[in-house]
Amino acid sequence: MARTITYREAINEALAQEMERDESVIVMGEDNAGGEGSPGEMDAWGGVLGVTKGLYHRFPGRVLDTPISESAFIGAAIGAATAGMRPVAELMFVDFMGVCFDQIYNQAAKFRYMFGGKAVTPVVIRTMYGAGLRAAAQHSQCLYPLFTHIPGLKVVVPATPYDAKGLLTQAIRDDDPVMFFEHKALYDLAGPVPEEGYALPFGEANVVREGGDVTIVTLGRMVHTSLEAAGQLAGAGVQCEVIDLRTTSPLDEDTVLESVEGTGRLVVVDEAHPRCSMATDISALVARKAFGALRAPIETVTAPHTPVPFSNTLEDLYVPDAQRIANAVKAVAEWTR
Amino acid sequence: MGDAIVGVVANPLSGRDIRRLTTRASVFPTAEKANMIQRMLTAFDAVGVHRVLLGTDLGGISASVFRAIGQRRAQDGRWPDVEFLDGQPIRQTAQDTVDAVRRMVTAGARVIVCLGGDGTARVTASAVGDVPMLALSTGTNNAFPAVREATIAGLAAGLVATGAVPADRVVTRAKMLEVRAGDRVETALIDVAVSTQRHVGARAVWDPATLTQLFCAFAEPDVIGLSSILGQLSPVTRHEPRGVTARLAPEAVAQILAPIAPGLVQPVGVRDIEWMRPGSVHPVDARAGVIAVDGERELTFEPGERPAVRLRADGPRCVDVSAVLAESARLGLLRRPSTAPARYQLRESTVRRST
Amino acid sequence: MTETAERKALTREQLLSAYRIMRAIREFEERVHAEFATGEIPGFVHLYAGEEASAVGVCSNLDDRDTIASTHRGHGHCIAKGVDVGEMMAEIYGRKTGSCHGKGGSMHIADLSKGMLGANGIVGGGPPLICGTALAAKIKGTGGVGVAFFGDGASNQGTTLEAMNLASVWNLPAIFVAENNGYAETTSSTWSVASDNIADRAAGFGMPGVIIDGFDFFAVHEAASEAIARAREGGGPTLLEMKFTRYFGHFEGDQQTYRAGEVEHARAELDCLKRFAARTTETGELTQSDLDAIDAEVAAATDRAVMEAKAAPLPTEADLLTDVYVRY
Repeated sequence: MARTITYREAINEALAQEMERDESVIVMGEDNAGGEGSPGEMDAWGGVLGVTKGLYHRFPGRVLDTPISESAFIGAAIGAATAGMRPVAELMFVDFMGVCFDQIYNQAAKFRYMFGGKAVTPVVIRTMYGAGLRAAAQHSQCLYPLFTHIPGLKVVVPATPYDAKGLLTQAIRDDDPVMFFEHKALYDLAGPVPEEGYALPFGEANVVREGGDVTIVTLGRMVHTSLEAAGQLAGAGVQCEVIDLRTTSPLDEDTVLESVEGTGRLVVVDEAHPRCSMATDISALVARKAFGALRAPIETVTAPHTPVPFSNTLEDLYVPDAQRIANAVKAVAEWTR
Repeated sequence: MGDAIVGVVANPLSGRDIRRLTTRASVFPTAEKANMIQRMLTAFDAVGVHRVLLGTDLGGISASVFRAIGQRRAQDGRWPDVEFLDGQPIRQTAQDTVDAVRRMVTAGARVIVCLGGDGTARVTASAVGDVPMLALSTGTNNAFPAVREATIAGLAAGLVATGAVPADRVVTRAKMLEVRAGDRVETALIDVAVSTQRHVGARAVWDPATLTQLFCAFAEPDVIGLSSILGQLSPVTRHEPRGVTARLAPEAVAQILAPIAPGLVQPVGVRDIEWMRPGSVHPVDARAGVIAVDGERELTFEPGERPAVRLRADGPRCVDVSAVLAESARLGLLRRPSTAPARYQLRESTVRRST
Repeated sequence: MTETAERKALTREQLLSAYRIMRAIREFEERVHAEFATGEIPGFVHLYAGEEASAVGVCSNLDDRDTIASTHRGHGHCIAKGVDVGEMMAEIYGRKTGSCHGKGGSMHIADLSKGMLGANGIVGGGPPLICGTALAAKIKGTGGVGVAFFGDGASNQGTTLEAMNLASVWNLPAIFVAENNGYAETTSSTWSVASDNIADRAAGFGMPGVIIDGFDFFAVHEAASEAIARAREGGGPTLLEMKFTRYFGHFEGDQQTYRAGEVEHARAELDCLKRFAARTTETGELTQSDLDAIDAEVAAATDRAVMEAKAAPLPTEADLLTDVYVRY
């Protein structure tokens, strides 16, 4: 039975259902309940944007507020995972990864390999990413490419409430360390979500729109912007196939390659910075493995190579919009040698 | 008579042993020890002591004082010349205190002030010879040292060092206990305890369950530590010419609630209480074990060694701070202008050396 | 005797075991030192010789419920926690039969089945992980504790400081063991540690801090026993600072020009094995022949480990891509 709930509610529901099902699932992060040690109420926030609200009272002792000590509590979540728990830790903004990255990429990601296959680290690190809320340079980045680069990590970037619930459920059940990226501008997005628990597999992209003229590969919030552009372009007679990657590691190469085999034209839309991003990753993949099918150079639509600006006008120029995507699609659609 | 010299040693390692974990013993910052020394320096100079010998340590105390000397401004008032005893290796053991005190005695120090707990006082006493000492407490392990504000202690030490207050009225000999095991000797200022533990280990003693016998040079009812076991049952003051000993056993009929360590008040079974006369030798019952002096395991003994404990009346000479300052009041030593007879007046150096 | 007195008294079996494990570590490290000089061992090794009393004094109080995290100088902790010496040697030689199938090397030897979270190549990498295993023990009610071994270098790393704070805030059954061997690579700990002692920082993190002579097995055992009992009973974390020195360089190949002869003095006057032997034979708890027999057995076992390691197969190309994920 599906009903309409928000992206935020879908994530909350995945957490609640998995915590109900498996008592080794615990939640920790800054203000994940909110109010610890303070004179007023507990669960004052339920996360800075309310994502974990209600869990504190429903699952006593399993939702832990933390001091502002990322390297300690992210490390603790990782350590607890090696000791048989399934922690879901929150790195409040992915922009804060700098202070705890070692625990993630040198410890969690490498235990299994370094220890000859003898370690299991089933930790999930949920984190917020993305621009558009005028949160400025240190609270708005899309850093999933940095994590995608690391062997041993899995990276998940859901675009819809349905995907958010199913992919988070899979992340919690998964025995490997997972980075779970939530776009802060999607929390209020509503969509159909089944009431029962379900898990979506990693490494399976979703073709959200079929079309034979140009393939748009994208992820996260840019899926919706790309669909907007595709709607405009359909009016102009260009049919776009929009592929939502869902997970960057593992990556569903087959769906992407199959689509480009059909259309011969590719635009990659990625809100991250242009260097060493998903845009470059997918471009290189297709150039290597589907070169023969290409009928136009690959085009990318990304943020510029700048920090995220603050002012309204500037941030609106920073984040790729439907018009820029449409322009890029038209350019590849009309390209001739 | 020459310039009065006072020696000061401070133990940087006091207050960091296992008692922080097993009792509520205090954590006494090094910075505060350095501060206490500086407060004493002001007091020394005020009463005419212009030369101070200070032991050096790797724990930050002497470095802190050295820095403070360098940072003094003209309006901060005068301090004595401080000579840091350098030039010999610092081992970070009790031997450092022994070596420093011996050097100060050889250099002519008239009073030695030590900052620390019972252990520091004991070690100082073993090296001080006939020079009067003033043990100033830093922390909770203070059955022997005085719990005093450092400035007051500094005035007292200074007044005795310069001779302004004659020693015979204000310096008294402490008792001490001597333990012999085979050819080894240890001394204690307060208590000797026999433990069933086999090894020196983490040194401190806080668990009366491991003790079988206790000897006390004094046992005052208001003093914390092992001596409090007898301090409540058969008190002996610091000044009485006797000590007291007893056997400890959990099943003994006489049970006493004793404040044996900071934050620890525990029932202890006591029997066979006897006085100790100076000179009489009291054998240790146990065949083997460890002997703790002033609360710290020090001396292991094996079957056949037959240790014994003796009370001695010839312990270190100690400055009685209250008596010094009472005498100073009586003589008007701190009045300006001075009303004291000439021979009691504080000496002012005619040549003021630069700091 | 009371329960605490009983806990304090070590049985003959415990004393023999302590000596055996300390001797095993010493033999292992001295042997790796010798073998490394032949050039056959790949990469880097960081030897623990001299520090045995810390690993064994602490770990002799632990059981399989308990976890430890270690440092790059991890062989001693591994052996003290029961990791197989033969598998360790094979791992150091990069063989497929090694503890980590040759994929970790000296700095990453681990055995999670024995609660050994691994030697760690990242300074300060261990303490946050121990907050995690201690948290798991607390939530599951196992009564287990987590022990984070780290060096004087790591005592200045943010991760260590954060972990101590977190352990106090969450009241975790964690013990932080600062092994202050006087040097972080070439810089002296008296210079790099701004507080007078590492133990002095404990008060800033809401836990007791104790300084222990790291050359004295009995002092370490006693202090660790108290700290571990306190943690098991819900009394929270403790910081223990061991003071001693390492007999070899930071890594094998280090010319150690920054040192000034303290190793000779330590080996002669302070050595933990010598002192343990002297003490236990003095009390009659053990005999010299007990100790000699252990020395001989350990020497033989170490020889065997080296021989087997040198003869063991290397990993193949097929092993390169395995065990990145449980399932990708």
